[in-house]
Amino acid sequence: MAEIALSVEGLHKSFDPGLFERRVDVLKGLSLEVHRGETFGFLGPNGAGKTTTIKAITGLIRPDRGRISVCGLPHDRLEARARIGFMAEQPYVYNHLTGREFLEFHAELLALPRARVGARVAEVLELVSMTGAANRAMRTFSKGMLQRLSLAQALLGRPELLILDEPMSGLDPVGRRDVRDLILAEKERGTTVFFSSHIIPDVETICDRVAILVDGTVRAVGEVRELVAQEAEAYELSFVGGDAVDLETPLLASHRGSDAWWVRVAGEHRDALIRELAASGARLVALSPVRSTLEEFVLRHYEGGGR
Amino acid sequence: MRAVAAIARNTFREALRDRVLYLFLGFAVLLLVCSKLFGLLTVGDEGKVIKDFGLAGIQLFTMLIAVMMSVLLISREVDSRTVYNILAKPVRRWQFLIGKYLGLLATVAVNLALMTAVLLLVTVVYLREFDAGLLFAAAMTLLEMALLTAFATLFAVLTRPMLGTVFTLAVFVIGHVAEDIWLLTQHVDSGIVRPLVVAVHAVLPNLERFNFKAEVVHGLGVSSGEVALTVIYGLAYTAMVLVLACARFRTKDLV
Repeated sequence: MAEIALSVEGLHKSFDPGLFERRVDVLKGLSLEVHRGETFGFLGPNGAGKTTTIKAITGLIRPDRGRISVCGLPHDRLEARARIGFMAEQPYVYNHLTGREFLEFHAELLALPRARVGARVAEVLELVSMTGAANRAMRTFSKGMLQRLSLAQALLGRPELLILDEPMSGLDPVGRRDVRDLILAEKERGTTVFFSSHIIPDVETICDRVAILVDGTVRAVGEVRELVAQEAEAYELSFVGGDAVDLETPLLASHRGSDAWWVRVAGEHRDALIRELAASGARLVALSPVRSTLEEFVLRHYEGGGR
Repeated sequence: MRAVAAIARNTFREALRDRVLYLFLGFAVLLLVCSKLFGLLTVGDEGKVIKDFGLAGIQLFTMLIAVMMSVLLISREVDSRTVYNILAKPVRRWQFLIGKYLGLLATVAVNLALMTAVLLLVTVVYLREFDAGLLFAAAMTLLEMALLTAFATLFAVLTRPMLGTVFTLAVFVIGHVAEDIWLLTQHVDSGIVRPLVVAVHAVLPNLERFNFKAEVVHGLGVSSGEVALTVIYGLAYTAMVLVLACARFRTKDLV
């Protein structure tokens, strides 16, 4: 049985928006487990509760109910937090510090041995390709540089559990690739990575498992391949000598090409469509199965509320 | 304690790199250097006017630095969410708040020391005397500012920066006049005003206890017992306000 790096059980959190307004329930009994050494994607539409969950794990907010443990320790213990590296949604940094000063400050907070602070800071600066800009004031940094520095402070203490909230948001393709490579490098080192993202292709590339959060509860969790395989299969057909508009079989999509129709149909209706086409005198030109993507799976959960 | 020291150092460095601080400090130094003018324009002992005016100026500008920097730097840490990176690390919330407080107090102390040095220089240059009593008055002002900074810290975790500034300024003003108002109400038969003043007098500190300007300026003696009581009063009150601030911040959701 896999060792558990992060366990969240029955997490509830509501917020009071202000006077004369009803409390808003953001997390409604959220539960999940992240195995040691895996890269775990946390997906959900805006307002689903991803950041609230991450804030609860990192101790920034107090859950109303539920239990969180990090590497077997209650999450509010300092020993648990010493094992976490956290990168927030936005790169929250000090404008008055240089990149190096910022990391030295965080090394002090982590109580790294004083003799090793300089070497470790230099190491993580190199890791995020920021050595050249380390002595510049952070107010002169671009968004991508700030994001990398923010990631550097999360990596400083060689965390067992790396929690990244939207690490690739606002980055250009090169920045995204760099962050993706860093996450993969951490995975190689055996670090457990838990990260939320809106960029599904990145999640599909990096993650071993994903959880889909909708309206404060986990609606689906599992390996990407498993989740996609759960989806009902579909087929794409191409035919000539008929009109898709006249077909009675329900179609998922249709498109008229220069000399043929192209239609997509759910697996359960494939044979009915073939029979209907044959009866109407149309000629089937091509038939191929369609592999469902994680993106389609996720979007269906977002749009349908997972129900 | 390493986390507290690191946060205090970072706060001190942030304050020193903030232009607002130099604006206040510049005005204060200018005012002290110009105190000779006020001495000339005022009827009375020129030396006493310079010292009185100098100490009052130091108190005013130290108070402004303490209030503005405290509320600004603590609220900025929460509003700009740099606090997320700190508190997600093995750092207790009270360590964060006490670190901020000590960094702010160090900033106030350094500025107070600079202003006091300028006042001592002014008295040496204009009056040809070195009055060690000015150092004592400045030390008592620092004690008062330690308490005021604690209030600013409390208000920074309780409310928004603007309100926090207003509330802290209100504590300063009321703290200096509460004793007078209380004495006044002893002679007034008002149903509502008296209990209100008694309540304010009981809750808010009496900041006039830290005011030894008159004794220093006029060369009056101050008993060591009175000084000891004032120090104990200041430290105990400061500790109590900081405990309240830490208790509130411990349960605060950082959204």
